[in-house]
Amino acid sequence: MNDMRPLERIVDSDTIKIAARGVQVHYGETQAIKDVDVDIEDHTVTAFIGPSGCGKSTFLRCLNRMNDTIDTCRVRGSITLDGEDIYDKSVDPVQLRAKVGMVFQKPNPFPKSIYDNVAYGPRIHGLARNKAELDGIVERSLRRGAIWDEVKDRLDAPGTGLSGGQQQRLCIARAIATEPEVLLMDEPCSALDPIATSQVEELIDELRTSYSVVIVTHSMQQAARVSQKTAFFHLGALVEFGETGQIFTNPQDPRTESYITGKIG
Amino acid sequence: MANPSFPPNEQHIVSAYDRDLEGIQAMIMKMGGLVETAITDAAASLDARDDESAARVREGDKAIDALEEQVAQEVARLIALRAPMGADLRTTLTVLKISGNLERVGDYAKNMAKRTGVLVQLDPIEGATTSIRRMCRAVEAMLKDALDAYIQRDADLAMDVRERDREIDQMYNALFREFLTYMMEDPRSITACMHLHFIAKNTERMGDHVTSIAEQVIYLVTGEMPDEPRPKDSKAAYEIDHSE
Repeated sequence: MNDMRPLERIVDSDTIKIAARGVQVHYGETQAIKDVDVDIEDHTVTAFIGPSGCGKSTFLRCLNRMNDTIDTCRVRGSITLDGEDIYDKSVDPVQLRAKVGMVFQKPNPFPKSIYDNVAYGPRIHGLARNKAELDGIVERSLRRGAIWDEVKDRLDAPGTGLSGGQQQRLCIARAIATEPEVLLMDEPCSALDPIATSQVEELIDELRTSYSVVIVTHSMQQAARVSQKTAFFHLGALVEFGETGQIFTNPQDPRTESYITGKIG
Repeated sequence: MANPSFPPNEQHIVSAYDRDLEGIQAMIMKMGGLVETAITDAAASLDARDDESAARVREGDKAIDALEEQVAQEVARLIALRAPMGADLRTTLTVLKISGNLERVGDYAKNMAKRTGVLVQLDPIEGATTSIRRMCRAVEAMLKDALDAYIQRDADLAMDVRERDREIDQMYNALFREFLTYMMEDPRSITACMHLHFIAKNTERMGDHVTSIAEQVIYLVTGEMPDEPRPKDSKAAYEIDHSE
């Protein structure tokens, strides 16, 4: 079935950005992810849905090695970014996370100025040679984060003083300041009101023209609105992965059907 | 936590959602029952030349129209409040279309009852009303099976209904030729034959609406509309016979 939204931004998207094969994750003795195979396409929003504890966030965190920070966590299988194994010994996780950015559930600006929040990543990665270049990156990122007009006159004000929705867009601007190739979003709108949510969703769709976006969301309506591909996780397994329109009108697996129609949680 | 077996007709966690869906489906069944009765009664009153009974059919159409209105309102409410997905979404879309089809079939039955009012004042055309009644019986049986297929989510039965529309088309073509012959033989029969022809044509259209209901059931069950075109029979009704 084709995507049912013919008027949405047309982006060519047949290159595979991230390929996961046989991914298994254990927290100590507990297996959180069972043999997940998935292809994340470039210039595509991929949504991960599923009940709490199904492994969708754990899997998302595998994609930029955020699970490395958890001592008991072991990841098996292969995950490649542009064909290169991200768990290879030669890969620096900090460099990887510059390429695969992340936005979290709760807006978490640094206790610094709005400017410094965005400038932090480019500075530590040495992306700007002088102040003027850094200013350019900050402005571009805030514009892409759809928050420039609201903060351009108070870049020195603390980022924590913004509203929740503005803080989240600031965090998105911060994540894209290092020019990532993939943006991971873990419930980016769950702490936002409906208007701020719409602004972030519009931003996600806009970001798709440059990046590959993977979003974990509890809101099935949101997954339906923003994504082109949807993956349904249940009990650590990837149950169904397909075109979003198909998943929400005619899912092939009875477990997906039960979940999206509100019969299991 | 959920159990991994997932029976297909599991209930929603929000039980009011189940009640909403059941409520709408109950309206469809009620509408279906009224339409079935309207077809049977309209054909019987035509055959019996009974205008009193035809008047009751004409009056009864209001209830069908009101139900269609009610289904549309409930569907809008369900979409707004519950954002149905998957099979629920297909059910919601399907009931809306089926109620539209049923309403049209009801209109055709009413139209037959109206023409009956005229036909009782004209000389009867031998055998015509019996043939129409037989045709209506076939349409009514198709409708009953289409609604059963809907309730039981039975795509095979729906497919069978879809095939049977061909028989209705054949009956119409036979009647078309018969009326043409009558009118050529006796121009005084033209008024009656014209009315009878419209009735036959409308009955054939009822069959098309029932076929559409059956196709909706196939979509509801499988998620896809049947794609291969329905086999069409002869084009007799569109060909002019120059032999006379």
